[in-house]
Amino acid sequence: MFGTYFLPRDLHPAAWWVWALGLATAASRTTNPWLLGLIIAVACLVVVARRGEAPWALAFRLYLVLAGFIVTMRVVFRVIFGGAEGSTIILRLPEIPLPAWAAGIRLFGAVSAESVLGGFYDGLRLATMVVCLGAANALANPKRLLKAMPAALYEVGTAVTVALSVFPQLAESVQRVRQARKLRGGTGKGVRALRGIVIPVLADALDRSLLLAASMDSRGYGRAGVATTRARAATGALMVVGLLGVCVGVYATLDGSTPRYLATPVLVAGLAVAVAGFRAAGRRVHRSRYRPDRWQLAEVVVAASGVAVAVVMFGTSRVDPTNLNPSLITLSWPLLSWPPLLGVLAGVVPALLAPPPVLATPEEVPA
Amino acid sequence: MRSRLIAAAAAVLVTLVAAPAYAIDHSKGRPGFCPTATGVTVVVDFQELGGTTIVRCFPSAARGTGLDALKGAGFQIAGVQRWGEGFICRVENRPSAVEIIPAQGKKNYRELCIDTPPGSAYWSYWHAGNNCPWVYSQWGVKNRDFIPGGFEGWSFSLNRTADTNPWPRIAAVRPGSTTGHCDAPVEPKPTSSNPNEQAPPRPNPPPRAGGDDDPEQPPAADDDPTAPAATSTTLPPPRPRASASPTAGNPALNAAYTGGEGAPDVNDVLREQSGASLLAAWVAGAAVLLLAAAAGWIAWRRNRARQA
Repeated sequence: MFGTYFLPRDLHPAAWWVWALGLATAASRTTNPWLLGLIIAVACLVVVARRGEAPWALAFRLYLVLAGFIVTMRVVFRVIFGGAEGSTIILRLPEIPLPAWAAGIRLFGAVSAESVLGGFYDGLRLATMVVCLGAANALANPKRLLKAMPAALYEVGTAVTVALSVFPQLAESVQRVRQARKLRGGTGKGVRALRGIVIPVLADALDRSLLLAASMDSRGYGRAGVATTRARAATGALMVVGLLGVCVGVYATLDGSTPRYLATPVLVAGLAVAVAGFRAAGRRVHRSRYRPDRWQLAEVVVAASGVAVAVVMFGTSRVDPTNLNPSLITLSWPLLSWPPLLGVLAGVVPALLAPPPVLATPEEVPA
Repeated sequence: MRSRLIAAAAAVLVTLVAAPAYAIDHSKGRPGFCPTATGVTVVVDFQELGGTTIVRCFPSAARGTGLDALKGAGFQIAGVQRWGEGFICRVENRPSAVEIIPAQGKKNYRELCIDTPPGSAYWSYWHAGNNCPWVYSQWGVKNRDFIPGGFEGWSFSLNRTADTNPWPRIAAVRPGSTTGHCDAPVEPKPTSSNPNEQAPPRPNPPPRAGGDDDPEQPPAADDDPTAPAATSTTLPPPRPRASASPTAGNPALNAAYTGGEGAPDVNDVLREQSGASLLAAWVAGAAVLLLAAAAGWIAWRRNRARQA
């Protein structure tokens, strides 16, 4: 069993998603820059070590750029719109007087270290979650994720997968067009070069979507099968009513002021109706799967490592939340205790214990 | 511009290294009541949270906001992340992030200072002229000026309604001035829902406006983010509160108080509460560098393999 464990193969995409969502959940619980930085570093290492060579794997850099943009914007907005919370003023900008109708908005003025740091911590949290999602997109094969969808969700899943793969495909498109330009000796810069890239990329996107639509059509996507109109309407109604019931039930369960009879009873009833709808929808969709992905030991290891990070963070935020949300009462280095630190480090396990991806040019096997 | 940036970075570094050490900033304000009509006395009453009430003086002759008074008297405060210091969620690190507050309708509630605290557990804001009864502030802490020679009060409101908010258990009477009478003006109520509306400047000398029959209204939550007490949409009609009597409380009935001289080091308290270790932060930094280096090395090796 262990002899074949480290043979190169693509893991089940759901395992990568569970791992990444675990990291993202952990990130959402804290504003401690040590922990957030560590989560980003862990995600980067695992992506670099275990991504394949598919186009979606190369889009990770874009997510990093997006994360940097988010952090920068948060800090810049704190500086522009009133950053004078706290007592440590680091920069005195001239305040721009605004007319009376704009009362409540402050432009520039004094900027304090506390408010800049507050913006930085807050932005870093969102940026870390974006990086985690980017890691999942880089590691998991979206097409194989679609294969693992339950039959009833197949059509929704198709739309989601097409939407998810737009970004990576654009990245690949840009890369291809730039390479072609380079081969033709096109080294222009500025607006002309932009036009030379944007138009082929857009044309490429249109071509691709037409091709995708044609191939989906020819493979029978969107067919109604043998179900009658009435049966389809009944199934649709069941699913919509069920999902509405689930939404109301979840809201009432989380919100303490809603009447209790809207909470558990509606939630359970909604779930039951939705499950009935799913079963009815699943019965009329018959799709066979070619070589379905198997959930093996490596998948368990990867998913467990992500879940462990989230669980440790939830546990510590229940025990001592102080250092998960660093206080800005007095400026000081953010504090950190051992449990959340070790918990986040558990997320690095896939970099070592996941089987390597299948590469066209395999690197030498490490000793 | 560049040198200015460097100077700013240096300032951040210096303040990070040399953070103020005490819960009470003893370089600001002075313990106890203000001895004269110059400045304002700030009273912090922890009520059900436990802890001795603290009375300190902000001896400033200039005008300033309630926030200036609180910070100028040396209190260490924290605002919620959402509203900043316009909404104070912790005074003297109370309620701390590890304290479970028995707030109604909130199981195991802890104040994390991220969003607006619930109406059942928050710091209520009061003010009073010398020899006057405490008045629940209709204005936010940044939106009104303190009364020179008067009092600013902070009292933790736990499971109270807008009508039963507890005023600080220290009578708003400076020692040695008990024979005086209340001459503080009644503050107008906010006229708009703009959270940045400022209270109009006080005329000087202050005439006694309104009178004894001036009822206190419960604060309207949507008028002012610092007044979260009344969140219900069906407010009862305004009626006089028991505290609206024209005379100040009896100083003989004051709760025990200190000037905050023995308050513990706030950074020590935080470190102790969080179980934080200095080493852990260093390890975290080292781990980030190590992981980044490992990622760089793997990327370089894969790149080389691809080119080979």
